[in-house]
Amino acid sequence: MSFLEVFQYTRQDSVMHRLDPRSKLVLSIVCAAVSMMFMEIIPLLMVFTCLLPMIAAAKSLSRWAKSMKGLGALLVFVLVFNTLLSPVENPFSYSFSLAIRLVALMTSFSLFFLTVQPDQLSQALIQMRVKFEFAFAMSMAMRYVPTLGQEAYAIMDAQRARGVELDKGNIIKRIRNIIPIIVPLIIVSIRRALSIAESMESRGFGASDSRTYMEMLRFRKRDWAVVLSSLLILILVIYVRFFVGLPGWMLWNFPF
Amino acid sequence: MIILEDVHYSYDGVYTALRGISLQVDDGERFAVIGANGAGKTTMIKHMNGLLRPQKGRVILDGQDTKFMSVAEIAREVGLVFQNPDHQLFLDSVKKEVEFGLRNIGFTESEAEQRRQKTLASLGLEGFAERSPFTLSGGERKRVALASVLSTEPRFLALDEPTIGQDAHQKNQLAQMLAEMNKRGRTVVVVTHDIEFVIENFPRTVAMADGQIIADGSTSMVLSNDEVIERCALAPPQMTLAARALRNVFPEVGQRLTLLSELEETIIGILGGA
Repeated sequence: MSFLEVFQYTRQDSVMHRLDPRSKLVLSIVCAAVSMMFMEIIPLLMVFTCLLPMIAAAKSLSRWAKSMKGLGALLVFVLVFNTLLSPVENPFSYSFSLAIRLVALMTSFSLFFLTVQPDQLSQALIQMRVKFEFAFAMSMAMRYVPTLGQEAYAIMDAQRARGVELDKGNIIKRIRNIIPIIVPLIIVSIRRALSIAESMESRGFGASDSRTYMEMLRFRKRDWAVVLSSLLILILVIYVRFFVGLPGWMLWNFPF
Repeated sequence: MIILEDVHYSYDGVYTALRGISLQVDDGERFAVIGANGAGKTTMIKHMNGLLRPQKGRVILDGQDTKFMSVAEIAREVGLVFQNPDHQLFLDSVKKEVEFGLRNIGFTESEAEQRRQKTLASLGLEGFAERSPFTLSGGERKRVALASVLSTEPRFLALDEPTIGQDAHQKNQLAQMLAEMNKRGRTVVVVTHDIEFVIENFPRTVAMADGQIIADGSTSMVLSNDEVIERCALAPPQMTLAARALRNVFPEVGQRLTLLSELEETIIGILGGA
């Protein structure tokens, strides 16, 4: 699952990290939207080559590369199956662009998740007028994903020590083997949720309606610049894509 | 016999959890592993049943390198009970939970039932057979988890912090059960911070600190060593403290004194015999 690493916040000091989460959200969505608008190889490659320097600006190229390596198997799968099975004219070109699109989409969203600290995310949501309870629940959920992973490994160890063979047998046996893992995982999570709720209440969670925040997010000039240029690019791309049409050289395909 | 030979292990390649552990566990032995949190105790016993594999060094079970054995194979010989019972309970009755392990190992239905009843009785869980483990208290769940492994009576049994959440009476029951199994020739290894539990029940103690074994020998020798107590973040045993206080007045009181019976003997000796 190493390809998911690209969605995990990494502590860094970079231009991208210092941007306001809200402007990064706009940037990410615009990048993703632009990559969704094309099915041709050249424009997708162009989007991709625009995204790479942004990852580099976040000082996260090596992490990104590692994740993409983890994604390799899935990409090969996409390529092979679509080439063999899709009914379009140039199946290889089609699946090739699908693969680039997948990478571009992941990279777009990773820009956001790599550089936004969970606390900042909930603060951004709050300042976008999401209710505090919801924003808090969301950041708690993100916070507990790695914990849940560790717990799953501990449970697997405990069951293997009891003689459960997780990686043996036919498919039905393997599916049945998930039960001794998933049931304790759910129970442990519910128990933890209850005890977190209790400990939060005993520390006065929800005691006062109006909250104040130690750190408020501020939109700076550079954030406005990012948002405005993102929107400008989006409008331009929409205009070219839907009203002008792509120039011929951009429609280039593999001949198969 | 389990032999650990110069075992090294690191979880993330940065922090080394075990740095050169060598240990011999003889058949029919009974010993305790003590050490501060993070000393590598759990990591070490996970090597005994193959859940973790040494990155350097070897683990040898009955003359065979465990490198070539699966965890399930080793689990028939080496049972391991973890700290958190919630990590292994998943069935809807205590009865099924205990029989699950027995079935995995291949006991017949009647044998499994017999063993289950016996184990539940000796852990004070007779009335719980039909209850759902999830409705039990923390201490009771702990005993169900213990029962599910103890019932299989593996030749080697390693328990990680078995006394957490247990009252004195339940601890005694557990100790008694372990002693009985030990008498039948099973090897019992316990990882614990409970120093009185160690003194009363285990003749041998292995002390760990920073991923290394810093002392290995008779319990009274290891636990009366101040450096060991200090590095394992323990408080000295009550009897050792009492003996030290006595020694201020009576210099003939021994250095290595951890048991109540030893203290009694000494006092009787001082009083001129009775």
